[in-house]
Amino acid sequence: MTRLDATKRLTAQLDKEPVIASLGHPAYDLFAAGDRPENFYTWGSMGLASSMGLGLAMARPDLRVFVLDGDGSLLMNLGSLATIGWTRAENLVLIVWDNGEYGTTGGQDTATRHGADLEAVARAMGMTTAVTVRTAAEFHAAVARAKSTPGPWTIVAKVEESVPTVKPPLDYVMIKQRFMAAIGTRDA
Amino acid sequence: MASTSARATAWASAVCAGVHAAGSRHVVYVPDNPLSHVLRALRDDYPDITTTIATREEEAFGIAAGLFVGGVRPTVMLQSSGLGNSINALTSLLVPFKIPVLIVISMRGDAGEWNAAQVPMGRAVRPILESIGVPHVTAESPETTAESVRCVGDNAFETRLPAACLLPRRLTVPGA
Repeated sequence: MTRLDATKRLTAQLDKEPVIASLGHPAYDLFAAGDRPENFYTWGSMGLASSMGLGLAMARPDLRVFVLDGDGSLLMNLGSLATIGWTRAENLVLIVWDNGEYGTTGGQDTATRHGADLEAVARAMGMTTAVTVRTAAEFHAAVARAKSTPGPWTIVAKVEESVPTVKPPLDYVMIKQRFMAAIGTRDA
Repeated sequence: MASTSARATAWASAVCAGVHAAGSRHVVYVPDNPLSHVLRALRDDYPDITTTIATREEEAFGIAAGLFVGGVRPTVMLQSSGLGNSINALTSLLVPFKIPVLIVISMRGDAGEWNAAQVPMGRAVRPILESIGVPHVTAESPETTAESVRCVGDNAFETRLPAACLLPRRLTVPGA
């Protein structure tokens, strides 16, 4: 299962749920899988996708919030898992594309290729609903459970790197404004 | 004793009043000693304000960004030393996406500082904020602090940019 395949499978399972994508390849593949106003493509702030997802999940308990992170990005902000574990945001679904490499920067190894276990970290931080999936069928089943049962969910999806060919829009304010409109946020 | 204590922390109550008046109802923070007075006053007097502790200041700004797109006006409170941990979040998320946050910074490294490890960042806070396009004001006295914090919040939420109110040690640790 490549990351792009998995991303397409995910979006096929979604309705109007917001999705916040980490910068680089996770965001590129989310755009390639089909642009939708409920997608928030970050263009920087490596490591903060899960934090932003937590903030949105706390602000909008009526929504199920999906985050697409990378293994390298999550390793940069493991403290986020502790905060998510503490706050018990039941409506947060953190999907970690774990390809064992820094795909956006040229394929350097991440620590997950050398033994780091992100599912175990998530569990240790208080997320009992954490799974690792390796096949399309397992991923589909995990997303279905995460959509319908309380989290916070961590789905570590072992994927192969796929080289993106398209990128999301560079108009950051437009991305934000249409996202907020799509999820029904009144101007704060 | 009670009145002495109340006087000593009048500035902290004023910070809370300013946050509340700016319409912010969620404070994400990494604590320090002066901020403990603010957090205690929030807990005691502002039950409608939610607080979340982050493990690191950069994370706090990420959480704040999510709160804002979800319709909540966020405040981030941190010590000046933590601004160094926050710069990438400010420059590559909040500023380019125009996501506003009311930032309250408890200053170290200014007049009265005893710890040399706090001095370089304390000196750098204002130039850093100016160079990354984050406006700032400094609260001068307990009597004006609520208004200073509220104005910074209004500025942030109206202009859609993070803005900071600095709390100097002469305010938070008088006599230090």
